[in-house]
Amino acid sequence: MKTTDIIRRAGRSLKHAKARTILTSLAIAVGAFTLTIALATGEGARQYANTLLTSNIDPQILAIAKDKSYFEGGQTGPQEYNPNVSVSSQSGGTVKLLDQTDIDKIAQRNDIQSITPSYTISPKYITRAEQKKYTVQATTYDSGVTQTVVAGSLPALRTSITKAQIALPEVYVSLLGYSDAQAAIGSTVTLHLERLPNITEAQIQQLLQQNNPAAIAQVTATQVKDVEYTVVAVVGKSATALTATSNVQISDDSAKELADFSTEGTDSYHKYAIATASVKSGIDPAVVKQALVDQGYGVETAKDLQSLLFTIVNTLQGIVIGFGVLALITSVFGIINTQYISVLERTREIGLMKALGMRGRHVSRLFQFEAAWIGFLGGVIGSVVAVVLGTALNPWVTKTLSLGEGNSLLIFQPIPIVLLIVVLMLVAMLAGYFPARKAAKLDPIEALRTE
Amino acid sequence: MIEVRNVTKTYGKKQSAFVALSDVSFVIPDGASVAIIGKSGSGKSTLMHAMSGLDRPEKGEVIIDGVDILKLKSKAVDKFRSAKIGFIFQAFFVQANESSFENVALPLEVGDLSAKVRKKRVLAALRVVGLSDKEKQKARNLSGGQKQRLAIARAIVNNPRIIFADEPTGNLDTVTGASIEKLLFGLNKQGGSTLVIVTHDEDLAAKCDMRIYIKDGKVSRIIGEVK
Repeated sequence: MKTTDIIRRAGRSLKHAKARTILTSLAIAVGAFTLTIALATGEGARQYANTLLTSNIDPQILAIAKDKSYFEGGQTGPQEYNPNVSVSSQSGGTVKLLDQTDIDKIAQRNDIQSITPSYTISPKYITRAEQKKYTVQATTYDSGVTQTVVAGSLPALRTSITKAQIALPEVYVSLLGYSDAQAAIGSTVTLHLERLPNITEAQIQQLLQQNNPAAIAQVTATQVKDVEYTVVAVVGKSATALTATSNVQISDDSAKELADFSTEGTDSYHKYAIATASVKSGIDPAVVKQALVDQGYGVETAKDLQSLLFTIVNTLQGIVIGFGVLALITSVFGIINTQYISVLERTREIGLMKALGMRGRHVSRLFQFEAAWIGFLGGVIGSVVAVVLGTALNPWVTKTLSLGEGNSLLIFQPIPIVLLIVVLMLVAMLAGYFPARKAAKLDPIEALRTE
Repeated sequence: MIEVRNVTKTYGKKQSAFVALSDVSFVIPDGASVAIIGKSGSGKSTLMHAMSGLDRPEKGEVIIDGVDILKLKSKAVDKFRSAKIGFIFQAFFVQANESSFENVALPLEVGDLSAKVRKKRVLAALRVVGLSDKEKQKARNLSGGQKQRLAIARAIVNNPRIIFADEPTGNLDTVTGASIEKLLFGLNKQGGSTLVIVTHDEDLAAKCDMRIYIKDGKVSRIIGEVK
């Protein structure tokens, strides 16, 4: 018997049992729906993560720490004390800190264009003339990251702002009494820093001997520093921005000055948890990373960050796929059951076909093709519903999750969907194997017995 | 020519063994109409199954056109049935939810014929049994007599050498039954295919050229045998 005739006959048999066919394929459709959504979400999330990284991060950037434990949440448990290495507590673990020699050593490498430690800047407040004071976080201006500029302008990628300049987040525009973002550009704001006095016992003894209360008051008073900046740009919130937008940004030089002021005389003076280095263009950051790792440093490239994000996306996608597969397994039993009943119901028909000389192999194939049709139908129903629903809901999802214009959480690709349907057909055929074998083994004499 | 030689068929094993056919032998000439007569349980159906290649008796030979079909491999037996045998059953066994055309086309599909040839042959067979106008009708919408005509069309569509009819009129009223008998014997006379009717109906058997009486798995007598 010709395969096309068997397929056609299988399709006709299903058409004669419409309700049963549709109900069985709906079970598969649930699995197909889940899997289609999982595939689309995974693709969407990966593309989104990619957009996020490529639009934000300079691929030549390296993040360098004293050792790799920084990127693993720090070392937990007690560590051997080493007076030459500074440590800092961070999210439950301790991390070793980079010191100035490390920074200088890396800066001297001929494949590194620049290195900037992450300065700890802790200003008390930000203000400007005749305005209230507001708490503020300050970070170093990251020349490797693209930002959304609301007003004013920022220098091109890999170029920093100058020492006297500051980039202001949008929230401070109204707080500091500007009529709009444009009005802030070019005006002067002040960062106020304070530090506890740092004096030795000897100094105090000396001053006491001199009996100079004014001098004592001076050295024991809280040290303050006010630094004035010119607003160069107002930075807005961006859907695809990785940086925290509520921080004011100042140049490396200025940050160093402020950090030195804050940490002078403390353990943290000239100690840094992490530094950002820029690899000279034309040199593979991965090669530089390896060289630094060999020296014991902990290094992450922009690519590492990407693979980290992808790992998260893949894990989540894997979970959703798992649920889809679970639904599929359930539907497999549905198919087996339906096909067994179908074989029982059509004992006469099978007996007749075999009496007419149809090979057992062909009878088996007839039932397997029926199962495949069910799989095909379920796959098509599930994926079409997923695509229609997903496409309809995409704008809403994008808006709700504030992914930003032009980004979609669900990206449907035709080839995975077609492959999915093919796989579903194969799974259904596999499920139809046992009922089909039963049909093939049916004895026509028994099947056609009338009494 | 159908030659049945010393066919013995036993069901079950050892103590519970039941001999359905015991040393059955006869010869049926080509083109004859033959009745196999016996009560239910006499072994007449088993004999039909053995002669049509559906069953395999453990002893004996069934030689059709010079080939012992009991010695063929299962694939060859299937092919033999598909090419040379037509079946008509008491309960019709037409597929109720398929059209007349699809019912009749089944043996040709099994026989691997192209759709074009199938169409021509199916329409011809439907014409012979007088169901040309029911081509697209679902079989469930046909009357009993029409269903049996459809079954006859299905049995003759592949131009078989032998048509086996198992109580072909058993489920029909006298008038309809008579018209089916007429159709069957008419086809037998014109087409030259051998007609083997399995029945317990003496009146129907009387219309055949040859009558083989089966009793308790043995041939009790043969009337009209060509020696």
